[in-house]
Amino acid sequence: MDALNHLMTGFAHALSPENLLWALLGVLLGTAVGVLPGLGSSMAVALLLPITFQLDPTAAFIMFAAVYYGGLFGDSTAAILMNTPGQSSAIATAIEGYQMARRGRAPQALATSAIGAFIGAILSTTLVAFFSPAIIDLALQFGPAEYFALAVFAFLATSAVVSQSMVRGLVALCIGLVISLVGIDGISGAERFTFGMPQLFEGFSIVTITVALLAIGEVLHVAGGHGGTESGALRRSGTPWLGRKDLRRTLPAWMRGTLFGLPFGVIPSGGSEIPTFLAYGTERKLARRRAARGGAPDEFGNGAIEGVAAPEAAGSATAGTAMGALLGLGLPTSATAAIMLAAFQQYGMQPGPLLFERNGDLVWALLASLFIGSVMLLVLNLPFAPLWARLLLIPKPYLYAGITTFSALGVYAAASAMADLWLMLLLGLLGFMMRRYGIPLAPVLIAVILGPVAETELRRALAVGQGDVAVLFDSGISLALYALIVIVLGVVTVNRARAARAARAQVSAPHPAEKV
Amino acid sequence: MSTETTTGATSAPAPTRERSWWSGRSELFVAALVIAIAAVLGVQTALMDVPPGTASPGPRFFPTIVTVIMAGVGVALAVQVIRRPADRPGLDETAAADAGDSAPAEARTDDSGGRTQWRPVLTVIGSLVVFILLLQPVGWLLSGALLFFGVVHAMGGRRPLLDATVALVFSSFVQLAFVAGLGLNLPAGILGGIF
Repeated sequence: MDALNHLMTGFAHALSPENLLWALLGVLLGTAVGVLPGLGSSMAVALLLPITFQLDPTAAFIMFAAVYYGGLFGDSTAAILMNTPGQSSAIATAIEGYQMARRGRAPQALATSAIGAFIGAILSTTLVAFFSPAIIDLALQFGPAEYFALAVFAFLATSAVVSQSMVRGLVALCIGLVISLVGIDGISGAERFTFGMPQLFEGFSIVTITVALLAIGEVLHVAGGHGGTESGALRRSGTPWLGRKDLRRTLPAWMRGTLFGLPFGVIPSGGSEIPTFLAYGTERKLARRRAARGGAPDEFGNGAIEGVAAPEAAGSATAGTAMGALLGLGLPTSATAAIMLAAFQQYGMQPGPLLFERNGDLVWALLASLFIGSVMLLVLNLPFAPLWARLLLIPKPYLYAGITTFSALGVYAAASAMADLWLMLLLGLLGFMMRRYGIPLAPVLIAVILGPVAETELRRALAVGQGDVAVLFDSGISLALYALIVIVLGVVTVNRARAARAARAQVSAPHPAEKV
Repeated sequence: MSTETTTGATSAPAPTRERSWWSGRSELFVAALVIAIAAVLGVQTALMDVPPGTASPGPRFFPTIVTVIMAGVGVALAVQVIRRPADRPGLDETAAADAGDSAPAEARTDDSGGRTQWRPVLTVIGSLVVFILLLQPVGWLLSGALLFFGVVHAMGGRRPLLDATVALVFSSFVQLAFVAGLGLNLPAGILGGIF
């Protein structure tokens, strides 16, 4: 009941008019970037980072978290209405959602996805709020060796496991680590990779890195003719009303989806695509099995409502547990979470068990505001989804010109130095190159943020063990983490080999094999 | 971050043209870049001035590990690109993307088979360079508007008068909102006296 008391205090803070305003601003902005393809919540938080330095940290984090949640609510709107997923977390939703819209059931699809996102967000946030003492107890047992193992786990999970190509994921990881190495070594005071330039003594600014890679890189990518195809016409839609027949099908799907999403929030998988596809695949299989047993017909391919409900719930269920991992363990599990971790560091706070002690007010106000934000998002998305879709009518040149100008403003405002603008251009080119060749961006950000942590903890652990490497494998927690890495890598390698063989066997199969 | 699953159909290269060994292998430059960065990292690590009396795993320890991994990854990428060039039909999943309802699990977010249109890219880069050079002498209002205008032009804006107006309105709005409102420090430049 301790958690409940804390949460009530948190609500008292979060319900102050000022914090409510920041939450509202955050959910509006989050929904907007969620709806617009190519823009994601990570880019929005990166662009907000420089201009929120003036704010009180609680207000800033309430807004960041609201943007994060908002992105997961808004991404399905364009996916359903125009088959244009706003973020990669809505690709799975688009498959059945667009089919529903084509059959005149767009209102039901939008309602299903909004309620699904709400259920996933609320359940996972509740879980985190009430299990935070357990997370903290676990985190308190972490020493240098365990934190190093956790960082390695995060590195390999984002780079090797999640990305389409293991090598490209590792390339991204290495780029991030190199960026994080530049500057004066905190332990020994040695100058590293600065080439004698005083501007580099403090390393690359996180604002410059994130804005350049996420915003400038994307603008160049779209300018090169790669992103954003013009999508089909907006479909009209009536009142979002789910009949009892629909509810009977969506309710279990929402729950199953949430179950897929919860664990993936804690695993650094660079986003929420994987659980959405797992949830989609499961619903599809269940429908097939039900049809085979002589139950309701399998509607997949023709707009099955379960195919919208489950992925949406799964996607937003990751957000709550991702916040838990970020606050309790200091472990960023997605690009947006990585930028938020950097923001904590900018404010001089270190997420982890001590954060709950030292900045308890902030943490609980933030958790409470997640509930408030979810309710706001439901209200904003349930009746107004078609209105949000009108954002897609903004002419693309103005949208991207605005992003570019805003990026330049943010980088200059944060650093007040011309060197950072040149660096922004350089890293923007890097981001462009990475998009061009399908090198994922999330591992770079996670490596930039966690790289220094990994190095410090590794050196600390080795110093304690007097150079004996065995000290890294000395505890149950680190052994369990390494074992998990090995198991996951093994499973992924086997699955990939199998998928590659299947692809070679039937190059032009009518229905590609499902990946589980 | 970008989620273009529907671009594949348009970006498939014409298979009839005579293709050089380099087509589909331009990613070798990325591999070369990775190896080059690893080399610079290695040399710089070796040349690093380590302050005397530094404890045993010193500042060179971690960079050495990163150098080794990076060099290995760079070589692996080169080998992979040589063995499987990007836009050979049948191996590139994006070529098969059919308006989003095929191959959901293979939602590749890149479209490396497509050809980059360099003109708009260079226009955006040029606008940024001009902006950076002009920011301090000319001030935010004009250089910001110029940057906005340049990107609009690169992205296909073809109504210069309207675009220029929007650009000026946008940069004035930013000036008002962030300098007057939030107190950010932006260079006033030649228009400094007026405000």
